Amino acid sequence: MLELKLDELTFDKCLKCNACVSSCPVANTTLEFGGPKHLGPELKRLMNNQGIIDDKRIEFCTLCGSCDMSCPENVHVTTLTAFAKAIHSDKSGTKFRDFVLSNAEWVGKLASAFAPVTNFAMGMKPVRKVMEIVMDIPAERQFPKYRFHNFNRVYKKKTASTERKVAYFAGCYATFNAPEVAMSFIKVMEHNGIEVVKPDQKCCGVPMFANGQMKQGLKNANHNITSFLEYTRQGYDVVLTCTSCTLAFKKEYVSFLNTEEAKELASHVYDADEYLRLLKESGELNMNFAPMKVRAGYYAPCHMKAQGIGNPAMDILELIPGYEIQDVGAGCCGQCGTFGFKTEKYDVSMAIGRPMAEAVKEVDADYTVTECGMCKNQLDQLTDKTVKHPMQIVAESYERAKVLS
Amino acid sequence: MGQIIETDVVVIGGGMTGAGVLRDLALRGIKAILVEQQDLGHGTSTRNHGLLHSGARYAVRDEEAAIESYRENLILKKTVPGSIEQTGGFFVKVPEDDDSYIQKWLSACAKVGIPVEEIPVTLALQQEPFLNKDAQVVYRVPDGAVDCFTMVVDVVADAVNHGAKALTYHEVVDVITEQNRVTGVRVRDGFTGEEKVILAELVVNASGPWGAKIAELAGIPLRMINNKGMLAIFNHRINKQVINRLRMPGDADIFVPAHNVTIFGTTGINVEDPNDFSLHRQELEGMLAEGKKLIPSINELRLIRAFSGSRPLYQESTVSDASGRNVTRGIALLDHLKRDGLDGLVTITGGKLTTFRYMAERTVDLVGEKLGIKAACTTDQERVPHRKAEEFFKDVDMAPAARHKLSHWAGTKAAEIELSLKEKAANFVVCECEQVTWAEIESVIPAEGRFHLGDIRRRTRLGMGPCQGTFCNHRAAALAVEKGKATSDEAERSLHHAVFERKKGMDVVATGETAKQMQLMDTIYRVSLGFREGDYQHV
Repeated sequence: MLELKLDELTFDKCLKCNACVSSCPVANTTLEFGGPKHLGPELKRLMNNQGIIDDKRIEFCTLCGSCDMSCPENVHVTTLTAFAKAIHSDKSGTKFRDFVLSNAEWVGKLASAFAPVTNFAMGMKPVRKVMEIVMDIPAERQFPKYRFHNFNRVYKKKTASTERKVAYFAGCYATFNAPEVAMSFIKVMEHNGIEVVKPDQKCCGVPMFANGQMKQGLKNANHNITSFLEYTRQGYDVVLTCTSCTLAFKKEYVSFLNTEEAKELASHVYDADEYLRLLKESGELNMNFAPMKVRAGYYAPCHMKAQGIGNPAMDILELIPGYEIQDVGAGCCGQCGTFGFKTEKYDVSMAIGRPMAEAVKEVDADYTVTECGMCKNQLDQLTDKTVKHPMQIVAESYERAKVLS
Repeated sequence: MGQIIETDVVVIGGGMTGAGVLRDLALRGIKAILVEQQDLGHGTSTRNHGLLHSGARYAVRDEEAAIESYRENLILKKTVPGSIEQTGGFFVKVPEDDDSYIQKWLSACAKVGIPVEEIPVTLALQQEPFLNKDAQVVYRVPDGAVDCFTMVVDVVADAVNHGAKALTYHEVVDVITEQNRVTGVRVRDGFTGEEKVILAELVVNASGPWGAKIAELAGIPLRMINNKGMLAIFNHRINKQVINRLRMPGDADIFVPAHNVTIFGTTGINVEDPNDFSLHRQELEGMLAEGKKLIPSINELRLIRAFSGSRPLYQESTVSDASGRNVTRGIALLDHLKRDGLDGLVTITGGKLTTFRYMAERTVDLVGEKLGIKAACTTDQERVPHRKAEEFFKDVDMAPAARHKLSHWAGTKAAEIELSLKEKAANFVVCECEQVTWAEIESVIPAEGRFHLGDIRRRTRLGMGPCQGTFCNHRAAALAVEKGKATSDEAERSLHHAVFERKKGMDVVATGETAKQMQLMDTIYRVSLGFREGDYQHV
């Protein structure tokens, strides 16, 4: 029996208007998914004070949060679908593959330790064929590369003494696959006279929530909350460079756990560009940017949109003289974290991603800018443009300005 | 002159009592026809809490009603299992309630034999988180929840299965009398306007609040107290079990779970007209203020609609009690030969939903005596077919929630519905709120093709959820036309009626989300579908 208790009453407000269904990237692509309205508020109402109903179709929910944003009644749809996922894995069990995918941190540690071998093997067709057969991970799917010199090995700072202090949550992607993003962020902060520490941290839990591993996800959530509250209570701000981890800290921890601690932490959490925008607004931002003659396309990840803070990356990059950036105006990428790595979801993942690839092609910028590592994975596979994190660009501009002066 | 039908007994009224009488007659081998002016259960029988009384509510004030209730509670759980959820019930004492009532109530329950178990308040709060945290004492009793929609339909279906006949939408326009004897009734078909005469040895008046009207047609005086109660429905099921106030029965002190919702009530006001189903905001406000004592967050919980129905109370000597609370819930069985010197007519009234079977038993005992037929009642043993159908639908491609519903609902129609789901691809969900598939809708449309969304709603729960038919009523109507189950005129007429009727119930509770829901509904029907006020006359 599922021990999870969900104090969630927003389903009571649902008007059945279908705004969530029409904004859902998956429901608009396949009829195999029951849609956010049914698997969220509707199912919760049908189960309330009655029996549990296990609906396998919940596997198609990517927890992208488009439904939450579209709901005129502020129903917490993804909180409800995340619990439907938890019910499904509780009742029907979890595939070994999904268990592996949900443990992105564990996989990252292992893959990073043997990075050259891992990357070589992941590029070998026979290996991928075996993975497809054994694990149901499609051979055609590109994987992000793992780094031996991961962020954990290179950065261990635990205390800061500057006036503004940042407690950085790197997330699995920047830690194991893209330490350059994490290092760029630290550089950007340095240029603003802010020291960055890396508190003890575990995977934010998003891949676990997405694969129905709610208990493990909440365990990680509580670990991170305790660890980061120690810092916020000493005046640190919590800043993240991954949009999915940021959303977890801001929204999911609060709505899944509903604890005072989760709420307290959430009030100190910022996306990296949002943080720079805040510095700009209070006149603290180092404005010494070297000009860059670039025409970039910005791709907004769903989990950035779901934070409801606009496009802070564009707001910041536009401050660089000569830098032109345009929103490619595309919807979901279709990778959706672990979703796009699954054989039975692969066609849907590709079908969702195609309009995004079209949009990127149409804008035909020098490169694409996005925060999310998983969106980058899909962009890498479906477009021929390089993909950069905004922190890499800001860092580059600051570095050049330093050399110039 | 229309058709003439002959039978042994005519039962007037297709509510729970009439249904029970019809089934009892059929099981005893007495030929009978039931006539109902509208749909089965359209009156009081589906306009109540659906509370299967344990008798505890009446133990102090009305011992006889309590004894009858508890005995019937046990019998109905056995004999009509498909329409009863054995939820159990709480009696909760809040600080406002009189302390001395507890002892009176406990000893009255003990005297009747109703099992009462004290539950620690903390445990009660765990089970029912909406309950008042200041609750002082909680007792558990064997209350239950009745689905009155399915119960009346199933009891009549079982009677028909045993040879009885039922004519719905047949209004009694005359009670035929010869000298001092009732010999039959004249009825009018509400759809065709055609009149028929049904001749019988005996007529049973089981028409509830309409009882006085039937008596008037027979030319005898009968004074009924029609005591109208208002009830409101929460958008979702807020409790697992029935919740009662531990006090002298009063207004707004019962919360009964009913599938996906909770029904809350009630009030009591005496009215003249049995067709008075009016709803008043002020009455609702009063209920909410009272209900708040049991469920403090009541004003934050969304209500989807309200409804009202009249309790047909009977007392030989007229009392002046406007609330009707002090009139007995006991059974009144009147032999009009003894009472008025008119042979061939029996009236059965008063009583409770919970005691309908016993009312029927006593009525048919009297019928048998009058007709000289010796056959014992078996309704206390013979089971109405169950609704469970868990062995079906397993390999049907459909939403698990819709499958879940059907496996507790399809009953004797399971095989037919399963076939339809598989072969006709009728697996799409028409009503999302209550997970009703087209196959299910099709299975309840009468063979003669009479299309009526209200009848479908009562049999399938179509349109009973949060959106109140905003999306499913027009889907069902359109599908019916597309699949040749209704003419477009029939569908349009029925759609207007359904929308009008849903809005009436929503209007009185329309604050917050329900007000928005109504606007959404209005926009869809007026703007998208071009409905205009006054397109059809609503009866």
